[in-house]
Amino acid sequence: MIRRDSLYRRLLTWLLLPLLALGGLMILQAWVEARRTADRAHDRLLEAAILAIAEQVQWLDDRLWLDLPPAALEMLATDAEERVFYALYDAEDNFITGNARLPGDPRDPPPEGDGLLYRDIQRGELPLRQGVGRVRLEDWRRGERFEVRVAHSREGRERLAGELLRSSLAYILGMAALAVTILLLAIRAALAPLTRLRRAIQARDPRTLAPLELPLPRELAELRETLNELLARMRRVRANQERFIGDASHQLRTPLAGLTARAELALRQEDPARWREALEAIRASGNRISRLAVQLLSLTRLNNPEYHPERVRLDLVPLAREAVRHHWTGCHREGIDLGVETPETAVMISGIDWQLEEALGNLIDNARRYGARRITLRVHASPPTLEVEDDGPGIPAAQRRLMLRPFHRGGDGGGDGSGLGLAIVDGIARSHQARLFLEDGVAGRGLRIGLRFPGDTP
Amino acid sequence: MKALATTCLLLLLLGHPALAEESLHYPAEAGSQARDALVVHGALDLPYMRPLLEAFHARHPEIALTYRNLDTLTLHQRFLAAPDEADLLISSAMPWQYHLANAGQAQALESDAAAAWPRWARWRQELFAFTFEPVVMVVRRELIERFGRPDSHAALLELLERHGDALRGRVVTYDPRRSGAGYSYAIEEARRSPRYWDLVAALGEAESVLATTTGEMLNGLDEGRYWLGYNLLGSYASATVAANPALTLVIPSDYTLVTRRLALIPRQAPHPRQARRFLNFLIGEPGQRVIAAATPLGALHPSLRGPGTAEALRDAHGEALRPIPLGPSLLATLDDLKRQALLARWRREFSRGIDTAPSP
Repeated sequence: MIRRDSLYRRLLTWLLLPLLALGGLMILQAWVEARRTADRAHDRLLEAAILAIAEQVQWLDDRLWLDLPPAALEMLATDAEERVFYALYDAEDNFITGNARLPGDPRDPPPEGDGLLYRDIQRGELPLRQGVGRVRLEDWRRGERFEVRVAHSREGRERLAGELLRSSLAYILGMAALAVTILLLAIRAALAPLTRLRRAIQARDPRTLAPLELPLPRELAELRETLNELLARMRRVRANQERFIGDASHQLRTPLAGLTARAELALRQEDPARWREALEAIRASGNRISRLAVQLLSLTRLNNPEYHPERVRLDLVPLAREAVRHHWTGCHREGIDLGVETPETAVMISGIDWQLEEALGNLIDNARRYGARRITLRVHASPPTLEVEDDGPGIPAAQRRLMLRPFHRGGDGGGDGSGLGLAIVDGIARSHQARLFLEDGVAGRGLRIGLRFPGDTP
Repeated sequence: MKALATTCLLLLLLGHPALAEESLHYPAEAGSQARDALVVHGALDLPYMRPLLEAFHARHPEIALTYRNLDTLTLHQRFLAAPDEADLLISSAMPWQYHLANAGQAQALESDAAAAWPRWARWRQELFAFTFEPVVMVVRRELIERFGRPDSHAALLELLERHGDALRGRVVTYDPRRSGAGYSYAIEEARRSPRYWDLVAALGEAESVLATTTGEMLNGLDEGRYWLGYNLLGSYASATVAANPALTLVIPSDYTLVTRRLALIPRQAPHPRQARRFLNFLIGEPGQRVIAAATPLGALHPSLRGPGTAEALRDAHGEALRPIPLGPSLLATLDDLKRQALLARWRREFSRGIDTAPSP
């Protein structure tokens, strides 16, 4: 039904519906009130007729006697030319006279008041309003009781009720029209700041990340603040990116400059042995540069929020064993003791195997570079965890978070590290929704670093 | 027209003359459907009704039209016994007609003619007054020559009080105990004039003769038995008065009751469509023109002027005319106790003079 969700329409609907319901209720109430008023007004006619008739009732020749005043009947008929009925009954409910047999009223008249009762009755197909007056003869000899019953048809009442209803209807409809107009204007006015906000955002230079500065009502001011916070974060992200690019180019420039210097130095030499030496050095530098480029590439890829490689179910245990096998020779050559501890059962997570392999490689690499003599890989089943512990110098707790920033090298030890290793591991952890932790080693020295995967990963 | 409509007057004499049923029947034109019939029950003598029926039949020859002339009491009782017999009730007994309509026995006539009909001559859309008939005095030449013409109720009272002995047995009026019309006039006059009871007493003292119909009174006046008739229906009296130069019709100048014939369509009318057509004719200009031109009933239609209309009568006697109101007060007339009370009072007043005067 609603083609397009809109705040304006939503407000209008939720304000108009109760308003309409209220209006309907008011009309209903006006109708009931109009009828009641009309009945009250016309019941006075019944009352007057009853009293006029009762006045003429006498005790004569041992019976009730009525000299019916024609005016009493005229009272019952208004311009609406109502049908008129009257009857006189004695205390034993015997019909004395009248133009119709009218039923009595089973109710008792209210104790205070004039002893008159009014109610709606039905005579054949004719709806009537009946008044019953229980009266006692004003005669000092006998206090004979009798009942005067009069009734008339409802035309006059309905006409009056209709007139009353029409006038209140005009009033209610006028009020409703006014209310709806005010409502429309009010909603329009209330939603105007939203339009202003939209225009302000539209009018902005897309490159600028400056905060929005425009006066807005409280609810929208909150939105503006949130927007500004987002912009501030984006500014920080951009600053990070710029620094990263700066650092990266710096990192690339230094070895490239070294490469160039080495080549120039070699060119000045004549000795082929020196050339060979220079070429060896250049190759080593080239390896480092390409390794740096690979790391930069993977870090960029990991930091790209749009990049979602497909994850598969994999077991951490063979992954850790494979990493040990892969790095064992290198470590053994340097006299480092590389070991692995895994549980008996498979530890399944959903992940990307090459990323995890790279993370493990980076962590082992890091440990080697920072002078560990003993490196242990561990896999824990619950929660699924992959960790690398070394007995190197460790990192002071205060510096641990800094270690995750690209190009930050820990302490002064790290000889030829690029400073990207841990940043890459952190990126891999994020892309697996895993938590990267850095803790002290088991014996209080060294470093324990690893990924804790969400436990309920299917 | 008349060649097409075969008029037959059936005078049925059923043993006793009082049970005589007069009726008129106009068969439908050949070829028309049999169900186009219309039965009218009326308390309106044939000479007055015939022009109306003939005019209607000329306009609607396809309707088989039956008119039964009944007296007001028979008409009412016959309706109560068989409410689905007649399509239209016409009666001068205003209280009874009003009583029926009030009880919901009449059906409403929704038509232009009904909407245009003056409010004072209808009740809702159910009860329609279509004539305007003053209640008059008829005086013989003998009385006028001796005592002068009594032009008002006051003059009549004075005449009776002063010359009651001379008029003994020469005055005739309705017996309210036996005549419905007489009773309704009595109750209206008692309401209107406190001196009415003096007049009743004076009438009693003059040993007035009590009659049950206007016709009976007119006969006596025509023949010279009575010198003065009090409370005669003007519409019936006018023809007799016109035919007899010895008679004078007096419309009292202090007040003159005006009675109106009321027509209603019963709720259970067998041919309601034709009944509506006839009633529309009766209160429409054509019917009212017939009433003005061919009857002394007095046409009520507001657009009609000239002789035979209520307007003409109003122009001549405007101040004095007192139409009996068409309203709930008519119900009081029908009240049993009221009737007993009024008749008891009437009897008492009427015999007051006789009792106190030395018997002859």
